[in-house]
Amino acid sequence: MRRNNTVRIVIIVAAITWALYQLYPTFMSTRLKNQASTHQIKIAQISGLPTDEINHALAQGLLEQKIREKLKDNPEALAPAVAETQKLTALDDRIANYENRAIQRGLDLQGGSYLVYEVDLPKLARDLAKNEDARFEELVRAIEAKSAQPNADFLKILREHFAANQVRLSRYWGNRSQTDVQIVDDIRKSAKDAVDRNLEILRNRIDQFGVSEPSITKQGDLRVVIELAGITDVSRAKNIIGKTARLEFKLLKEPEMINDVITKINGVMKKEMAAKRGDSLLTQIPVDTTQLASADSARVRNEKEVSVDELFPGSSLTGASQSDSAGKDSTLMVDQEVFKENPFSSLLGALGGDLGVPAKNYRAVERILNDPEVQEVIPKEAMFAWSNKTEPIADAEYYRLYLVKKDADLTGTYLVNADANIGSSNVGPQGEWQVNMEFNNEGAKIFGIVTGSNVNKRLAILLDDKVVTAPNINERIPSGRAVISGNMDADEAKDLGIVLRAGALQAPMHVIEERTVGPSLGRDSIEKGQTSALIGFALVILFMAIYYKLSGVIADFALLLNLTLTMAVLALLGATLTLPGVAGLILTIGMAVDANVLIFERIREELRAGKTVSAAIDQGYTRAFWTIFDANISNLLTALVLYQFGTGPIRGFAVTLSIGILASMFTAIVVTRVIFDWMTSRRKLATLSI
Amino acid sequence: MMQFFQETHIDFLRVRKYAMSFSAGLILLGIVSLLLKGGPRYGVDFLGGTEINVHFQQQHNTAEVRGALSQLGYGEAEIKQFGSASDFLIRVQQQQGQGTQVSDNILEALRKVFPSDELTVRSIESVGPKIGQELRTNAIFAVLISLGLLLIYISIRFEFIFAVGAIIALFHDVMVTLSFFSLFNLEISLAVVAAFLTLVGYSLNDTIVVMDRIRENNRLLRRENRDIKHIINLSINQTLARTILTSLTTFIVVVVLFFFGGEVIHNFAFCMLVGIIAGSYSTIYIAAPVVVEWYKKHEVQKIKRSPVAVR
Repeated sequence: MRRNNTVRIVIIVAAITWALYQLYPTFMSTRLKNQASTHQIKIAQISGLPTDEINHALAQGLLEQKIREKLKDNPEALAPAVAETQKLTALDDRIANYENRAIQRGLDLQGGSYLVYEVDLPKLARDLAKNEDARFEELVRAIEAKSAQPNADFLKILREHFAANQVRLSRYWGNRSQTDVQIVDDIRKSAKDAVDRNLEILRNRIDQFGVSEPSITKQGDLRVVIELAGITDVSRAKNIIGKTARLEFKLLKEPEMINDVITKINGVMKKEMAAKRGDSLLTQIPVDTTQLASADSARVRNEKEVSVDELFPGSSLTGASQSDSAGKDSTLMVDQEVFKENPFSSLLGALGGDLGVPAKNYRAVERILNDPEVQEVIPKEAMFAWSNKTEPIADAEYYRLYLVKKDADLTGTYLVNADANIGSSNVGPQGEWQVNMEFNNEGAKIFGIVTGSNVNKRLAILLDDKVVTAPNINERIPSGRAVISGNMDADEAKDLGIVLRAGALQAPMHVIEERTVGPSLGRDSIEKGQTSALIGFALVILFMAIYYKLSGVIADFALLLNLTLTMAVLALLGATLTLPGVAGLILTIGMAVDANVLIFERIREELRAGKTVSAAIDQGYTRAFWTIFDANISNLLTALVLYQFGTGPIRGFAVTLSIGILASMFTAIVVTRVIFDWMTSRRKLATLSI
Repeated sequence: MMQFFQETHIDFLRVRKYAMSFSAGLILLGIVSLLLKGGPRYGVDFLGGTEINVHFQQQHNTAEVRGALSQLGYGEAEIKQFGSASDFLIRVQQQQGQGTQVSDNILEALRKVFPSDELTVRSIESVGPKIGQELRTNAIFAVLISLGLLLIYISIRFEFIFAVGAIIALFHDVMVTLSFFSLFNLEISLAVVAAFLTLVGYSLNDTIVVMDRIRENNRLLRRENRDIKHIINLSINQTLARTILTSLTTFIVVVVLFFFGGEVIHNFAFCMLVGIIAGSYSTIYIAAPVVVEWYKKHEVQKIKRSPVAVR
């Protein structure tokens, strides 16, 4: 039986040509990347720069400049380093040329970070709220506790909880004429809008941080997925990405007011303790009130730490504090003399002219400050704010605690530029890293007025509600320039510059999922995976050739073609090859081999039954076809469902499997058939090598 | 012609009752193990939590690392040494609302406690409890839908009872593999779920190949009025060579992956090793007997002619 195979052969040749063309960029970029990494290692050796920094500088086009700067006192090393740098830069350009048409390797195979950020709805809702009072705090806290459950819808819970407590949402959000449902919809909408704007800001920040080819995509309405290939310092990246970076300038309150407030808080605490205990203060400070939970512990002299259990065996402290496992205050630093009369003051110390709080007391003080009754005695126009980092004094670490105006005098929205540099003559401490900021005209005007009318007062600069620095205003500043300084190292200052330049996130976001694969593990898994896959594949090829002889070789050819085609389609789709994707490929190989085994066994059966070679081939293919078809279609169905409903890794599996199945139907059935036909058409075969 | 098997005439179905009891026993053992251990051992993917894999330059012992962590209040962290004395796996069950700061805190603490040592992060996985729940729901949802579609497709192409048999066989394979995971105390991560899907695909393929032969033989032998047991036995024997060849080739690949594929692929390969054996076995001893028993009960001796004619 003679079939016209010309069309088929043309299709096959075209497919092979197309596949090779598609895979060429992948091949080239892999080869060039290997070359690039040797240059990179050499540069790292000569210059002593960490590879991370080399990568950042390379991505920003600043590598040569950086190398020259770094090695300016070492002319011997400079020349080879610059030569390597130029080679690397040239290679980098060529790689970039091929890169976007090459198959991307997933982060699990090349190292990098996968981060999922979600809008912090509770925080956003708080930010949007106005006229917050003690009642509001109470309600919102209850809701936050509830919405921590999996699958909880914060806004729905918010609406229901407020309704259950007969408080209208319009009391705190939107305007009076709006219904609860409208307000919740508004909050949801502003969250969605914020995510869209955050995308832009995040892209900006990451570009400036210098990551090559970051992927930043939206997932659903409230999430952003960020993939950073090849980075090693994840903590730093997270710091830049996740920081809301809301910059605010707030005047400090006068010392008299601070003293007054502290006295009042002492009063409240004493009253609470007396009311709830009555007994000796020493042994029975709060156990049941969450706000003061930890304050019950210590007793002894100043600067001495005492564990809770030691002093009060049997006190069930732990149950009272829910959300802070990361640092249960088992000990506190308390000044015993002061404690009896002024329990709150006993937790504090002095740091220059500011209040200092030992790091150990941070949580206790925070809880006290959040107590509804304590909130009552803090003036409406003021609020407490913590310093953003601790300072070591003697043996202990201290936070500063400031009392600042509640409303910002100036915000970062007026910022036009921010740059990190080393402090020089007139502004900021000399020789320390700082960030210079520049406001637009309007901002400069406001800044001038604020500074002009508050000379000799102190102005706190807050980043995300933490005080970075609180300098004294010496004179009116008309220029619209300000400096943030205070204990920053080079990285911190640069990162702060980046986030300020890129602007504040429109809504706070937090990481809900992180997967980081270090470069060493990525390299390991590639090498091991590649070697083992190659060995396995070679064994299968060998087995087929031995068991089915010439027919086996034909099947092997089809198998190779199948892999090539699958990879080519992956390249075409711009898909990413991940570990589960490789799993999909393995299943594909299994099924492609199976298809040929099915056909060959069928042909053997027909031959045994005494059919001629060409009749046996014909029958074998025809009979096996529906089997292969049904098996493949069933698997394809599964793969499509997995693609539709699965997440990340499962999708990768589904994609390679679907493509592989389609390719294997083509190669195992059509391609091998054409070859057999071609063999039998040339001369009548008496026997078949099978 | 190189051949492992000449024509065989094995009465596979004769021992189906024993085989089914064996399967049931194995699955029961797995269920008992699952119950005793409080369900499958989920990885951080599904549980939520943080897992850090670090490599030190120097050697340390678990107690030192635990010491470093307990200062942070992570004293209950699971700390495992693997490979050498300088590789550690640290796992912390996530507390509500703590985000993913945990990993930063832990690394900072380790760097502080071992200042002279250089620490390399090999991997970090951190999944919020909310996400963990979502991933679990999504995975289950996807599997249920695809099973439903398979039921429909096989019913159309073959017969409803074939579809039921195939799905029970798939269920059997997943349960057996799950049992092995529980008995060997292995962990279910997202990659393992991909492996389960692969084995389901493999097993399904195997089942359909045999069913297809049953469909064909039934058409050929219809006139002879042979009973279903005979037809099924014949079909299994006719496809036996193919079953063993395919299983063997796939097995070779997976064995290589199991031994040389590295830690990431290890659990995946284990799953496939169990799955390939279970997949071939279940076609013969689960899917086929289901069809036989159903026919016996309904006293239908013949399989209806399938709607799609096979040429």
